[in-house]
Amino acid sequence: MIKVKNLVKTYPGHVPTLALKGVTLDIAEGEFVALMGRSGSGKSTLLHQLGLLDMPTSGSIIINKTDVLSLSEAKRTKFRLQNLGYVFQEYALIAEFTALENVSFPAMAFGDSNSKDRAAHLLDLVGLSDRVNHYPKEMSGGEQQRVAIARSLINNPKVLFADEPTANLDTVSTEVILKLFRKLNKDLKQTILVVTHEPEDKKYVDRVIWLKDGIITHP
Amino acid sequence: MTRTDLKTATFIAYKTITNGHKSTIALIVFILSLSFFNLMFVSGFLNGFSDGITESMIDNSTAHIIVMPQEEPTKKNFILEQARVRAEIQTIPGVEASTRHYQIGGSFAYDVEKNGKYNYVSAPIIGVNQAEEKKVLFVQKNMVSGEFPDNLRDDEIVMSANLTGGFGTSQTTDLGGAIVGSQVQVVYSNGIMRTYTIRGVFKITMGSVSNTAFISASEAESVLSTYDNASEILVRVDLTQNTLDGYADRMAKMFPTLRIEKYTARLSSVGILVDAFNIIAIIVSVISIIVAAITIFVMIYVNAVSKRRQIGILKAIGIKESIIEVSYIFQSIFYAILGIIGGSIIIFLIVIPFLAVKQIPMPFGSARLVYTSFGIFINIISLIIAGVLAGFIPAKIVANEDILKSIWG
Repeated sequence: MIKVKNLVKTYPGHVPTLALKGVTLDIAEGEFVALMGRSGSGKSTLLHQLGLLDMPTSGSIIINKTDVLSLSEAKRTKFRLQNLGYVFQEYALIAEFTALENVSFPAMAFGDSNSKDRAAHLLDLVGLSDRVNHYPKEMSGGEQQRVAIARSLINNPKVLFADEPTANLDTVSTEVILKLFRKLNKDLKQTILVVTHEPEDKKYVDRVIWLKDGIITHP
Repeated sequence: MTRTDLKTATFIAYKTITNGHKSTIALIVFILSLSFFNLMFVSGFLNGFSDGITESMIDNSTAHIIVMPQEEPTKKNFILEQARVRAEIQTIPGVEASTRHYQIGGSFAYDVEKNGKYNYVSAPIIGVNQAEEKKVLFVQKNMVSGEFPDNLRDDEIVMSANLTGGFGTSQTTDLGGAIVGSQVQVVYSNGIMRTYTIRGVFKITMGSVSNTAFISASEAESVLSTYDNASEILVRVDLTQNTLDGYADRMAKMFPTLRIEKYTARLSSVGILVDAFNIIAIIVSVISIIVAAITIFVMIYVNAVSKRRQIGILKAIGIKESIIEVSYIFQSIFYAILGIIGGSIIIFLIVIPFLAVKQIPMPFGSARLVYTSFGIFINIISLIIAGVLAGFIPAKIVANEDILKSIWG
């Protein structure tokens, strides 16, 4: 599903920072993988490149047989909308949208006339059927993160990326979210790559990729 | 941009407006209302000024069309058989009325202190039949003392306040304060001397009539030793039935030897003033539009910058930059339309009724706001175009930012 080869990312500056030093990895379809490492190891940077939120300095990324780095900016945006789901650490919901609108919005932008029904179904799936008309400010952090997960799934993405989705959550909410990822992976065969720095999260995933100083140590 | 893209952009704009801070939206709309008011008021006021000057010229000095004596091949002093000429003019559909003028130069003398020290002033004197004249020109509506009767006697004269002096005028030369009932001596350019009793004094500040005196047509014929002639014939027409050029062309064909002039040719220095005001109106309008555009730009830019994170999120979930830009354009257009409505309410429901009640005196009458449908349309379109541009540019700047930078700053 995902093939990464010799990925390098350098942040320019007075002293350029080499964040990824030639990362190579494969993730199979339907796999639930955790990307772990210490703070500053390059986990989030790698996820940003894979999620097409940023462009690497060199290397290649193949997602679902598409060389995504060769795509134009407009095509990358479209690819992101159609094929990738992304869950941010800080929920990243649109404050002016209700839970239902946040979830259905990417589908609406995709031209899906049935977006609201599907969004309602996904909110039910993440256990928020009673919060569909609530705005983000009216929900807890855990609830907001579940809305963000539902949103990431609305366009049936090939891959779901999650960047430390439980970092801001309490223990109970963290367990709910990780169990939800596990359920999505099992029930929907959803390919998931989640960045986490909590060692105990290992029990939920199929495989752990360890990153240290921009290099994979345990693929 | 597909229909789905437009629907998505509309949805973002709708949610941003309906769930945005009401006080911020109210402030934006208030400022844009003032911008549109400024645009409308200044252009309307200057248009009113230009219209007022032109109208004053038509009503008091020139009417719409001036028929003058033959100049080629030989210059003549009078239009002969003026009654016949006017009767023919009256057959043209749309001609409302005509009047003839005898024009004579004269020198006035008045002994204000009755001590043998005379004040002198020279001025054109016009012989008219007021019963006909008042259907074409409205000098009688500007009387500050006495009257301008239909049956002005041959020994009576009606004078401009600029000639008599007094009545708040400030001429360097006048008769020093002649009033109704005063007797003034006139020496005409042909040497004939007469004494007239002032029957009325009028005050008009615009055009040649502001320094003119009127006597009866029969007295003018006596002075000039002529009959049934005219120095000029003034014609008032209905401009809804034909154009000014249409009437002038018709008269020119009817009287090929006479000189036909439109009032616009008589505007001369006043015309320069009108042109200047029109140019000023355009300049002020352009400045108002630029100010409005900058206002919208700043508002939208501040709004967009404060929503950088949201814009970054939208891009991160795969929303095209163009959709985000169009959503901001829609918001700008919405604010501009509300500003137009607000500004129109101020103009049409507050300022115009206020000016009708509390009149502001101007040289040609009272200040007024004059608008044409086309002018209003241009102002509205200008503000909307300004809104589109001023909404697009800041949205483009912010939407162009790197996704991660937008989300995390």
